Amino acid sequence: MRRITVLLLFVCLAATTSFGGGYQVSLHGVRNIGMGLIGTSLSYDATTLFNNPGGAAFVNEKWSFSAGVSLIFARGTFQAKDVNYQANLKHELNTPFYFYAAFKPTKNLSVGIAVNAPYGNRLTWKDDVGENWKGRYLIKDISFKAITYQPTISYKFKDIFGIGVGLVYATGTVDMNKSIPLQGATGDGNLHVKGSTSNFGFNAGIMIHPDKGWSIGIDYRSKIEMSVKGADATFTVPQSLSTNFPNNKVDVMLPLPANLDVGLSYEFGKNKQWLIGMNFCYVFWGTYDSLVFDFQTKTAAIGRTATPALYTSQLIERIGAQYNINKMIAVRVGGYYDPSPVSTSYLNPQTPSLNEIGLTCGFSVYPIKGFSIDASFLYLMGAKREGTYSPDNFAGTYRTGFSIPGIGLSYSF
Amino acid sequence: MKKILFIILSLALFTSCERKIDEFKASANGLDFSKFVSVGNSLTAGYADGALYLSGQENSIPNIMAKQFQTVGGGEFKQPLIGTEDGVGFQPIPGGIYCYTKRVLKLVPDKDCAGNPVGTVSLKPDFVSTPDQATLLGQLFTPPTVTGPYNNMGVPGATVQTLFAPGYGSSQGNPYFTRFASSPMATILHDAVVQQPSFFYLWIGNNDVLASALAGTDALLTPLPVFTQFYNMAVDSLLASGKSPKGIIATIPDVTAIPFFTTISKQLPYNSVVLDTTQAAGLTLLYGMYGHPDIKWHVGQNPFVYIRTDGTWAQMQAGDLFLLTLPTDSIKCKGMGVGDAVALKPYPIPGKYVLDKSEQYNIQERVAQFNAVISQTAANKNLALADMNGYLKQFASGMVFDGIKMSTTFVTGGMFSTDGVHLNPRGNCVAANFFIQAINEKYKSNIPQANVTNYPGLVFP
Repeated sequence: MRRITVLLLFVCLAATTSFGGGYQVSLHGVRNIGMGLIGTSLSYDATTLFNNPGGAAFVNEKWSFSAGVSLIFARGTFQAKDVNYQANLKHELNTPFYFYAAFKPTKNLSVGIAVNAPYGNRLTWKDDVGENWKGRYLIKDISFKAITYQPTISYKFKDIFGIGVGLVYATGTVDMNKSIPLQGATGDGNLHVKGSTSNFGFNAGIMIHPDKGWSIGIDYRSKIEMSVKGADATFTVPQSLSTNFPNNKVDVMLPLPANLDVGLSYEFGKNKQWLIGMNFCYVFWGTYDSLVFDFQTKTAAIGRTATPALYTSQLIERIGAQYNINKMIAVRVGGYYDPSPVSTSYLNPQTPSLNEIGLTCGFSVYPIKGFSIDASFLYLMGAKREGTYSPDNFAGTYRTGFSIPGIGLSYSF
Repeated sequence: MKKILFIILSLALFTSCERKIDEFKASANGLDFSKFVSVGNSLTAGYADGALYLSGQENSIPNIMAKQFQTVGGGEFKQPLIGTEDGVGFQPIPGGIYCYTKRVLKLVPDKDCAGNPVGTVSLKPDFVSTPDQATLLGQLFTPPTVTGPYNNMGVPGATVQTLFAPGYGSSQGNPYFTRFASSPMATILHDAVVQQPSFFYLWIGNNDVLASALAGTDALLTPLPVFTQFYNMAVDSLLASGKSPKGIIATIPDVTAIPFFTTISKQLPYNSVVLDTTQAAGLTLLYGMYGHPDIKWHVGQNPFVYIRTDGTWAQMQAGDLFLLTLPTDSIKCKGMGVGDAVALKPYPIPGKYVLDKSEQYNIQERVAQFNAVISQTAANKNLALADMNGYLKQFASGMVFDGIKMSTTFVTGGMFSTDGVHLNPRGNCVAANFFIQAINEKYKSNIPQANVTNYPGLVFP
């Protein structure tokens, strides 16, 4: 058994993978991460509240809790086109977390709350010389994070069909810096934007258990329009130009795309020792047309700018498996392909979105019945890609990689 | 087993995530840059902001190119550096020259016609400091600190003919060459050729039209046969210098497209003289009295009056261009272009401040003829050609590099220096990259371009 475990881990780590499209982060449950991030058709703990509210009523225990965190270690390199120049993504730890709690007042009804961070982006670019990297007029650093709070209700009819819906309340923060190509005695100008916002969406799903061992899940999470009204915009420009760049409030509009997930899984073997499953996740990136900055105080130099993004919707394919070695240990492995929603003419350093392959593995240890310590590892590799952000004529080749260990706890009783 | 997992996870975390990309693969493809020599005028010398100064020279087009050549075996690139950052510019005056420093952007208090500050400020190019003639003359004629020969043979003011002029580097010649000529009677081209370049750059001819345009006339253009003869002589001499060099030559931009000629006319329409009935009648009478009854003034908008190159007076027409040197204070306060209200005389704008449409036409025609010669020479001699004329045209509506928008608009366009004629370091970098592209295209080399964001644009106060 140990040999199989090690082998699975080895396969997982040796293969190459890539980090996903856009700014969606799908690290919602350490057990799911271990299985290639599948989860839409699974219902074994409170994680189901987020993955598919339709499945929450299928969780057997009266109380169910799940919490965890992932540590995203990002690496990335940029090689400029036609210029002998490279820059790197500065190592910055990003830690999306989750917490889920479900309660079943009756056998067929479940209520709960899901809190997690399904969207985010955090990066700083740097070259060997220092802060003045070649793409600084596009982006120097950005930290964008959305946290969602989702009260959920789920009901199942017999043990065959479940439906559920959650109200999603999302809060978002954005903090970014970019240089402005207007130089004073101390160098470039700078724009710092910092703000926060909130908005509502919903998450609805159904789950079907058509036959022994089989499970089908369909889940839809709505788009959430994150309009940061009146973020603080602080300009640092030469004094002679300051009247054109007054410190200001800016409205920033960034959509969190809708997702339609379809999952299928099958449990088999002695005591359902094996589980295999697959997910198809359609991300409605097409709604992300441009990043809009609308300054409230307008001058000849600043107004409303729409930075084209022109994302296209993408289908992510995921596959995963779990093997219960015994009552104490389960091991998992999986993988997925996440194609970039960005076209080659709009590939940019703000969200260096590449076609990504993710390879995952994980395990759970059950020291006592109902309680598990879960661990996962996701290695995500962005395939090398050459592109130009044509509105700014910024061209080069990007390559990224992410090591994402995750740890979580689940308790059901 | 947990121990094994822990080890594997740790290893994965710290080692497996290197995401390298192969670095740029530079290739000369047989080109020899061990002795790169550039020949040209102020655009080649790194002259900017109305003066020759140290950091301007360090950011000259050929010096930026030479740094890139060093990735493919390029040799040292010596420039005749001047020992002042404030710089020296000059203009001829009777009996000598008058010197000044470079100009930088300053916030200058606005004044009314009586010379009193009105409380507002405007961003304008202004001299770094009050010129001290003795100091500036000393700096101008002090030989460069580094000894020659100099790879950069760019001399501000040089024309295709003066490349061959003996004595151009003497005390009676061009001070910008006098300061570094190998001997008083040496010519620019001689000092270039004796270095036996392995690769040369020749960008000459701009002053054969520009000098005339800067004087607001088309009368001083170098005649086409003269240009053709001397241009071919220059190229032939370089090619015959000994090491069978390869090289690049460049076309001459249409000078009327640069900010020096386009800026004022955007702010001051040619017909912005607004008159009432009494004024119009009075001016018509006045111009008639002074022998110009053909110049009639009307109620409403009227064009300014200026003196043509042939001495005749005319009303301006749409498309005529004011030069950046136009004394706008005299327009505003002294009636220039209309009439002197104190002396009760007509007051036409001196011709040196106006480049009218027929002058522009003649200049543009000559530029086109010169460029035909240059293109033909490149083809005949199998040299790389940088079509700077075509390239500069693309900047009329603006180009963008790494998020920096550049256009031929004065100051805000970000590529020209404060003199409105020469490029700033960022503009020089873009030009140098265009030369490199042309070399790569012609010789199938892969020389890296320079990083535009590393070169400063205009510095604002």
